[in-house]
Amino acid sequence: MADAAQTKGTGLLVDQEADQGLGAKLVYVGRLLWRDKSGLLGLIMFLTVVFSAVLAPWISPHPPLKQDLRAAKRPPVWAAKGDISHPLGTDNLGRDLLSRIIYGSRVSLTVGFFGVLIAGSLGLVIGLVSGYAGGRTDNVIMGGVNLILALPYLVFVVFIAAILGRSLINVILIFGFTDIPIFVRITRGEVLRLRESGFVESAKSIGAGRLRIIFDHILPNLLGPLITIATFEMSAMIFYEAGLGFLGLSVPPSVPSWGNMLATGRKYLTIYPWIATFPGLAIVFTGLGMNLFGDWLRDALDPRMRRLKR
Amino acid sequence: MQRYILSRLFQSIMILFGVLFIIFFMLQATGDPVSLMVSRNASPEEIEAVREAMGFNRPLIVQFGDFIAGAVVGDFGDSLRHKQPAMDLILERLPATVELATTALFMAMLIGIPLGLLGGSNPGSLWDTLARGAGLIGQTIPNFWLALILIIVFAVKLGWLPAFGRETWQFLGITLPTRSVILPAFALGLFTMGQLVRFTRSAVMEIRSEDFVRTAYSKGLSDRQIYIRHILRNAAIPLISIIGVQFGYLLSGSIYIETICSWPGLGNLLAEAIGNRDFALVQAIAFFTSLVVVTLNLLTDIAYGLADPRIRYGD
Amino acid sequence: MRKPFFATIMAVLAFSGFLWAPAAAEPRGSLRVAIATMPNSLDVPVAAERQATTTAWHLYNSLTWLDDSGKPVPALAESWTVSEDGTTYTFQLRKGVTFHNGEPFTADSVVFSWKRGKGNKMQWKKKWAMAKSVEKVDDYTVRVRTDGPNPILLRVIADYWAMVPPKYIAKVGEKGFAKHPVGTGPFRFVEWKKGDRIVFEANPDYWEKGLPKIKKLIFRPIPESSTRVAAIRTGEVDIVGRLSSEEAGTLKGLKNIKVITYPVDRVYYIAFNNMTSGKGTPVENREVRLAMNYAVDVDAILDALFEGHGRPLTGFVTYKNLGYDKDLKPYGYDVKKAKALMKKAGYEKGFKIDFACPAGAYTNFEQVCQAIQGYLGDIGVEADLKIMESGKYWDLEAKKELPPMFGDSWSESSGESLPRLQGALGGKSASFSAWEDPKILDYLKKIGTTVDDGARAKLYVELQRYMYENPPFIYLYQPVAFEAINVKVKNYKPRPPENYFLKDTWIEE
Repeated sequence: MADAAQTKGTGLLVDQEADQGLGAKLVYVGRLLWRDKSGLLGLIMFLTVVFSAVLAPWISPHPPLKQDLRAAKRPPVWAAKGDISHPLGTDNLGRDLLSRIIYGSRVSLTVGFFGVLIAGSLGLVIGLVSGYAGGRTDNVIMGGVNLILALPYLVFVVFIAAILGRSLINVILIFGFTDIPIFVRITRGEVLRLRESGFVESAKSIGAGRLRIIFDHILPNLLGPLITIATFEMSAMIFYEAGLGFLGLSVPPSVPSWGNMLATGRKYLTIYPWIATFPGLAIVFTGLGMNLFGDWLRDALDPRMRRLKR
Repeated sequence: MQRYILSRLFQSIMILFGVLFIIFFMLQATGDPVSLMVSRNASPEEIEAVREAMGFNRPLIVQFGDFIAGAVVGDFGDSLRHKQPAMDLILERLPATVELATTALFMAMLIGIPLGLLGGSNPGSLWDTLARGAGLIGQTIPNFWLALILIIVFAVKLGWLPAFGRETWQFLGITLPTRSVILPAFALGLFTMGQLVRFTRSAVMEIRSEDFVRTAYSKGLSDRQIYIRHILRNAAIPLISIIGVQFGYLLSGSIYIETICSWPGLGNLLAEAIGNRDFALVQAIAFFTSLVVVTLNLLTDIAYGLADPRIRYGD
Repeated sequence: MRKPFFATIMAVLAFSGFLWAPAAAEPRGSLRVAIATMPNSLDVPVAAERQATTTAWHLYNSLTWLDDSGKPVPALAESWTVSEDGTTYTFQLRKGVTFHNGEPFTADSVVFSWKRGKGNKMQWKKKWAMAKSVEKVDDYTVRVRTDGPNPILLRVIADYWAMVPPKYIAKVGEKGFAKHPVGTGPFRFVEWKKGDRIVFEANPDYWEKGLPKIKKLIFRPIPESSTRVAAIRTGEVDIVGRLSSEEAGTLKGLKNIKVITYPVDRVYYIAFNNMTSGKGTPVENREVRLAMNYAVDVDAILDALFEGHGRPLTGFVTYKNLGYDKDLKPYGYDVKKAKALMKKAGYEKGFKIDFACPAGAYTNFEQVCQAIQGYLGDIGVEADLKIMESGKYWDLEAKKELPPMFGDSWSESSGESLPRLQGALGGKSASFSAWEDPKILDYLKKIGTTVDDGARAKLYVELQRYMYENPPFIYLYQPVAFEAINVKVKNYKPRPPENYFLKDTWIEE
């Protein structure tokens, strides 16, 4: 919006760094990360979640769906009646909490990743069209964007969930589509800004085609802001998935997801607090990691912020 | 300026029509609520009779026409469950939601803005760490979760605050909030608080790095003067839009908190209406909350336009 | 020290009240009750569910009333006679009863209430339409006729026929009545802040002398059960219901709280469909259905999810219902037998089947369904469990579009299992039934027209035996209700259909 001043930095940064080799770039990013420990910490936290999702079958002590009603509601290992075979205790059906949390990261990351992928790619295309075409096309698209933003989010989501039923695909689609507007706005904003900056004009004047301009000049400049937003949106989706699960509207109840675990555990909160505490902590842990990393990413990609830090 | 306002107004009305269209057809797709309206021993003939009486078997387009005609004058029909006009039910619940949202916004602003200013002006300081922490907490702690824990700590264990419900205090004929609002408002406002901290902090940092501020420093103006003349004023303009958007979010987004804390507001009514598939009532609430959000956005845009003349020409 | 002294005084007062009736203790104190739903109305024929009707009933009376053992006894009718053929009831009405607005209660009120109650917009119109006609004989006599003998009429009257004032409704209209309801009941309406509280106060002219004992009665809707627990712990309410067994467990040791448990007349079951989606699937096979009953460990489910509270079912008639067959034993958990039955049915390798359950409708029911899915897996039945939003679920159930196996629950307030049996097994004539068995239908018809309790009980036993050999359901359990009250609440007596009447409850300060 009101930051004409921003034009100066970003474009130059990308162009300079584009000349460096990939290895040099990685070293550079690594140095930046090392300088800001909170970004590094965030990355490590996020990677922990990613690894547990990928390695789930090998690192979980039990199958996540294996129920054992006779061993239900065991407390975590450090509590009085804890048991080493269930380090974080068991839930109300005697399923191992640690294993379910490890597997739950798969659901959260899948929802977050594919949700952002759908929203991001559609948002990018729509935003490019909108910003580039301008005029009536732009008005219609922005009208649609504002329409989605004006919808009462929960009502919208509840209905889709009720119509489609509870499944992973549906949750991804719901988030993927409702989150498009943010990406459209970011993309369109960047396009407009670059157009105004004379950047595009000069490219046009030397006879560059539209696609050429988009790929050579606009996309590289968009990459930074989009990745940053994607990080935040992914963490928001993980958060919302938990919220839907809490209302009983997320993935089917037998699927180990953090939201479902919270929904079950909340009934036992005053008596068997661990059932809901650990998935809650898992959500906070992942969110913290992604936000710390996202913050760092935003600052790192925005040269003015970097200048400030030095 | 007039043209700007008019075009914004037109846009808002178009959005509201779009909302009407969506909520009508989305609700149709969830199946009709007749099965909830009859007793469990009902025969198929009885169910058909109810369907007939409620007009659910007319062509969709006719039902939609009726719906729009009613909606324009605020008539969404009677709630199926309460057998009362849906709008009456909403207006009954509105004061509680406004009280909760306003308190939540004030609490968020009271904590969020000063913390953001302090953090943004002293990067790397303890204040900055606190501000970053508060921003992160707001974004990563699920508020429904927090509300449950707050009830256990502050109502059950410590006994400082009531565990549920809304108590009001009548003073000179005016209804005033009591401490019963503190707990739900805090839980609800947490996210907004985080947003405000983050936003204020980065706005201040951004403005501090602008050329004119750096010039002001080099001219030897005092910190205080720079702060008031440049930083606060420039940060205030975009802050208006954040607060406007957040207020809309608070007014429409309290379904979790209101249910957990038994707060007699709109979110609570919505949760109940969704559970009962009370068609008319859900539609009315959905439209009403959209109306609130759209109106707030419109007002924010206008305020923004008034405060920053550049915007008017941009569009 | 104060308590025994106070108790003595109470005893003396009670005794003296016996001698000088007018000196009965004035109603005092206020009682705060947490309810789990938001009532939609305080008008009994409109009130949508049990908690709403229970709240509303404090404002009204009916002609009859069920005593603590469930037997119909006089209320606004002082006495009644039944004709030889069992189709005509003549009620003698109590004289000198007035509504809260001062309007006298007469035969006209009964006729008006009946006409209004069976009106098209009323939720419970069927309960009123059980009577073919209601006529005024004189000011204090009414005659009620039914189509055929109806064994449960007096119970239905006690449960649904709330008497309302005709002149008042004519004056203020239905909307006015909804805003400020009026009856003859022990309490009268003060205010209703939607979603927040409902306030009643003692009716000083109540016809049962000495009642009610509470001056002010306040209902607070708290849908979230963990919040209800918090509210009774902090002393903000005096009575909370609909607790889970774990929640009740946490309240047990606390010194200002008493936990109450009682069996509820409700059954949980997994139903099969032989009318639409289940046609041609293995659930039509009797051995398969028996095998499934043996494969599910109901005791373990009760232990794990309900702390052992609840009663495994032997059928669809619960143990306090008329004609309950004591000799039937629950199937028990027997995987070997289940596998043998599967083999006998020709499904040794198992099969795949669709299975659905409603979300959030009943305590822990989603978990119960998951557990059943697990148990069925052990005998090779791969059940694909879908948990659906409950509104949609019942919509599909009414359209008979649920999968071949679906979980459900049915409560009954009349003390007999007939309405439940008719509803779940009535075949084509019942909207929520997906099962049709000519033999069962035959039994239901016979039971519905037999007025003699003994003969009816015998028919129930025969039907239970048949349904034990040919189960149309996987029988699960009859639940136990958990409520908690503050110790200062005295003489609180909740009943199996999860209702209560607070006219003779009092608060000891």
